[in-house]
Amino acid sequence: MLRKEQNDQLTQTGPGTPMGDMFRCYWIPALLAAELPENDCPPVRVKLLSERLIAFRDTNGRCGVMDEFCAHRGVSLWFGRNEECGLRCSYHGWKYDVTGQCIDVPSEPTESGFAKKIKLRSYPLVERGGVLWTYMGPPDRQPPLPEWEFATVPASQSYMSKRLQEANWLQAMEGGIDSSHVSWLHRGDLNSDPLFKGAKGNQYNLSDARPVFEVVESPGGLYIGARRNAEERKYYWRITQWVMPSFTMIAPRGTHTVHGHFWIPIDDEQCWAWSFDYRPDRELTAAEVSAMCDGKGIHVKVDGGYRPLANKDNDYLIDRVAQKLGKTFSGVEGIGMQDASLQESMGPIVDRTKENLVSTDNGIIMARHRLLRALKAFKEKGVLPPGIDAVHQRVRSAAIVLPADQPFTEGAKDALVVRPDVAHASV
Amino acid sequence: MSSAVEAHFRIQAPNSRPRAVTVIALDAGGAEAVRRLAAGEWSHATFCTVAGPGQLKRVDGSTIDLDEQVRTADLVVMVTSAEGRSQVAAEIGRVCSDRRVTTTTLIVGAIDAPDEALTKTLAQVRPWSLMLVLAADEQYIADMMTALRA
Repeated sequence: MLRKEQNDQLTQTGPGTPMGDMFRCYWIPALLAAELPENDCPPVRVKLLSERLIAFRDTNGRCGVMDEFCAHRGVSLWFGRNEECGLRCSYHGWKYDVTGQCIDVPSEPTESGFAKKIKLRSYPLVERGGVLWTYMGPPDRQPPLPEWEFATVPASQSYMSKRLQEANWLQAMEGGIDSSHVSWLHRGDLNSDPLFKGAKGNQYNLSDARPVFEVVESPGGLYIGARRNAEERKYYWRITQWVMPSFTMIAPRGTHTVHGHFWIPIDDEQCWAWSFDYRPDRELTAAEVSAMCDGKGIHVKVDGGYRPLANKDNDYLIDRVAQKLGKTFSGVEGIGMQDASLQESMGPIVDRTKENLVSTDNGIIMARHRLLRALKAFKEKGVLPPGIDAVHQRVRSAAIVLPADQPFTEGAKDALVVRPDVAHASV
Repeated sequence: MSSAVEAHFRIQAPNSRPRAVTVIALDAGGAEAVRRLAAGEWSHATFCTVAGPGQLKRVDGSTIDLDEQVRTADLVVMVTSAEGRSQVAAEIGRVCSDRRVTTTTLIVGAIDAPDEALTKTLAQVRPWSLMLVLAADEQYIADMMTALRA
């Protein structure tokens, strides 16, 4: 459980809130690069950290994201015309460049210099790995660009999708590090999902349904190790990475791709669930990409607004027959929606004063502990939180068999960091 | 079904009864941490060190039979440093196993411990821990206890 004030502190990310200030220390995914596909394409509305923004790519290919509303009379610039290196408001023609600087006020004489006095709040928007990243913090604290491996391998080796999740970012993220639910909620998918099936590790999973967990602090966050019996005097380890504040990377299976998530607050009651899959050592196959586009693995089929087709308005298309037959444990199809449906059912912001955690929830307890610890150090002493340093980002999850008495952080030391062009450790 | 408005209609009655947590230090480093932890305000926690075979010593100085203490616990938390002197985990673990009481072990100071000592500690506690946490700071134990409603 958390006290109410702790729950509020961790779940509120709007401007001026402690957690909001901390999120504003990082580069965060804002849009898929495909959402701004060409110069002078239509602008895109996006809400991040409770701020309504408009993003556009100008005539010269420069991208920017800024306050959605025109400084004149508050009209949404989503109706604007993206032309000649600026976004022009459809109401009275005020025009802004990608930095939010007003560059034309048609009703005022150019010589008056009035336009120079108008500037919308804006943030940098940078493309990397098929994602447009933004940094919403103070300019003097802007960190180097993100170094996550999925975003630095060639485009043909990586796939990214996003979906709307109608729940606070923290409960979605906590689902990503709650390793103990996998043996229940997703048990029907290990041997059927094309992006999971066939791995030797799946047999360890299925033959030992009671994993033992070890939670270890890492420089950027946590390693969450789930251990199962393997051959004589050996353990099969699945090691998940959590890097602050909201990056999770799940242990891979066999020769499949490795995958993970970012959980980015839209506001306090919704978040973007970003899902990536990649291979460090080879291009993705057509079959893999097709499966990802089809909502397999951790991906989900969505509508044009990135809302899942199975959502709370249609009861997530729950199939009670499939549930009864054991095809799916909850009756909801697909790993991503199995997670999202249950997390949304908790309510927009779950009341953590009422929960009853148990020992296997130590990954979640530790993540909250680290977030609160980092918040305190940031707020009181200005110490930048973990997860900004590129070293904290160049990490991998791993599935590996190790001798029974070995610390997994030692046995999997090389497997838990990026090794360019070398396949991730997987069983 | 899960809107903010609907959340107001959730039943506001208690949904659990208190759980008894027994915290046992396995070595000298663990004992220091447990003594500091015991100084906090806890509703349902008992703090002990090992007094001898089958015996625990509570922080108030009284001794109690290990089996009797475990019998009243819903969860046993073992606290140790990473010095490879946690062999008593086996005795406690066996009693917990017989009594079907869940065990969690916290290794404090593990992040900076020498590999050899940590390996030895892990070999001693792993067979008897259903959950193992290697924490950088001792404050985590208190946070975990609070999270578990101790």
